[in-house]
Amino acid sequence: MTQIACFVEKYNFTYSDEAEALERFKRTAEQMGHEFNFIFRSGLSEIPKYDAVFIRATTDPLYTAYVVSKTAWELGLKVVDDPESIRICANKIHQYRLFEKYDVPHIPTLFLDKEEFHHRRIEEIFELFGKPVVIKAPYTSFSKYVEKVSCETSFREVAKRFFRRSDYIVVQKFMPSHFDWRVGVLNGEVLYVCKYMMPKGKWKHGVKRRGKPSFIWGRTVTLKRENAPQRLKETALKACSVIGKGLYGVDIKEVNGDYIVVEVNDNPSIYRGQEDLRDKDIYEKIISFLVK
Amino acid sequence: MSGASCVLVVSNIDLRTNTSIIKPSAFLKSSVRDFILNVNNDYRYMKTGYYVSLHAEILGNSVVPTTENAVDAYRPPVLLIRASKNGVPAMPHLVTDSVKQIMAEFSFPVVIFAVNPFSFNGFQTAKNRTALYRAVKSLSMNYRYAVCAQPLRSEILQVKSFFGECNIEDDGVREIARKVYETFKIPVCKLLIQRVDGEAYLCGLQPLKLEKILPSDVDVISKIVSRFSGKGWFD
Repeated sequence: MTQIACFVEKYNFTYSDEAEALERFKRTAEQMGHEFNFIFRSGLSEIPKYDAVFIRATTDPLYTAYVVSKTAWELGLKVVDDPESIRICANKIHQYRLFEKYDVPHIPTLFLDKEEFHHRRIEEIFELFGKPVVIKAPYTSFSKYVEKVSCETSFREVAKRFFRRSDYIVVQKFMPSHFDWRVGVLNGEVLYVCKYMMPKGKWKHGVKRRGKPSFIWGRTVTLKRENAPQRLKETALKACSVIGKGLYGVDIKEVNGDYIVVEVNDNPSIYRGQEDLRDKDIYEKIISFLVK
Repeated sequence: MSGASCVLVVSNIDLRTNTSIIKPSAFLKSSVRDFILNVNNDYRYMKTGYYVSLHAEILGNSVVPTTENAVDAYRPPVLLIRASKNGVPAMPHLVTDSVKQIMAEFSFPVVIFAVNPFSFNGFQTAKNRTALYRAVKSLSMNYRYAVCAQPLRSEILQVKSFFGECNIEDDGVREIARKVYETFKIPVCKLLIQRVDGEAYLCGLQPLKLEKILPSDVDVISKIVSRFSGKGWFD
């Protein structure tokens, strides 16, 4: 019997679909003969009692989840997400540099530092990528800190904001699409495939409502993994191969029949009735990976 | 890295050595293949010092410090876990967002470090319950993030460490500086240390502000860089 700690934060139980997916992880682990307990921030001192740690709270090297991951790693426990995957996936500059190095097809990207943040460089960028362009903070997640800009004034406003926390930011060509593929990958194998649809009239999956703190999200259309295009799955696996052997959600755009990686996320969302809709075995596969 | 034939020093500090030194901005545009010694006052995540190490790693170079060590050394709980694993006496710590849990674990006074993406390396001390509530509320960004609490048993000694060397006449402190460098290889940093019953204990590591690096400190760093770069040895 393996004792699994699942690190969560209160917000993981806000949406019923996510809370039900977490309950399903627990039930699956117990049916497989393992112990599965949720631990919160106040339970970090209990990590040494466990054999494996499964992180569901948002990861970033500056969040508690990284402390959890690193603590488990230093203790020699199996941990998903591992610290290296967190470091690479949480920083898009790190990730795109690896994609460049290992020829992973990705959206045309350049990196902008504070010193280059001037009129001529901004004009060069618009000439290179056309208008609009997409500016990403390296720490983007859940469609936040990704903004589309069409003029120098908005470029400056967004870039200035993102430069507060990072000395470098990412600028990408704008590639509109009705959906992004999301391929779930575990240990170098495809776990699930879905389409994250853009809400009507929007350009990204999650969009903040004008003047309100809440987000609207596009629909999720799920396919059986064996029915998904082979080249899509190959592209997703190649992107993950430069990061690690953990659990990832790869966002991919389909452009004129080619598959282009948008980004690889560690700690991908798993909601009941969405990512698990067609391939019901994803819970079992993740638990098996944790106890291996 | 033992026996490297060539060492390139990348530094935002005006060092006085015969070794070739380039500025971080120039290095970040280059594709130099050497052993990289990244001498910076600040290796915080997503700051230029961090990106220098990242650039070196992407190019396939050995680099001091690695991005992993830069991230870990500045996160107080990770610093203490890894340092104590390497035999560094470290203060006990607790990661939580609960004042009650801190009070149940430690008696006053306590020192609270931030574990959030906005308050880089901030800490506050609290001598009573009210001050503790205030410190936790502030450093956790209104309980949105966790904090790292430690007992405060003496004044916190702030020690400049250059490649694990420090100018404090205390064997315990010197040993901590040496071992912390051995573990994380952060060339320039400030160590936070408490002395309890004559023994020194590590409680934090922070970047050193550029203006706090005095001309005498630049001499010390320059001498160490010259001494080691000729040998290609920084481990």
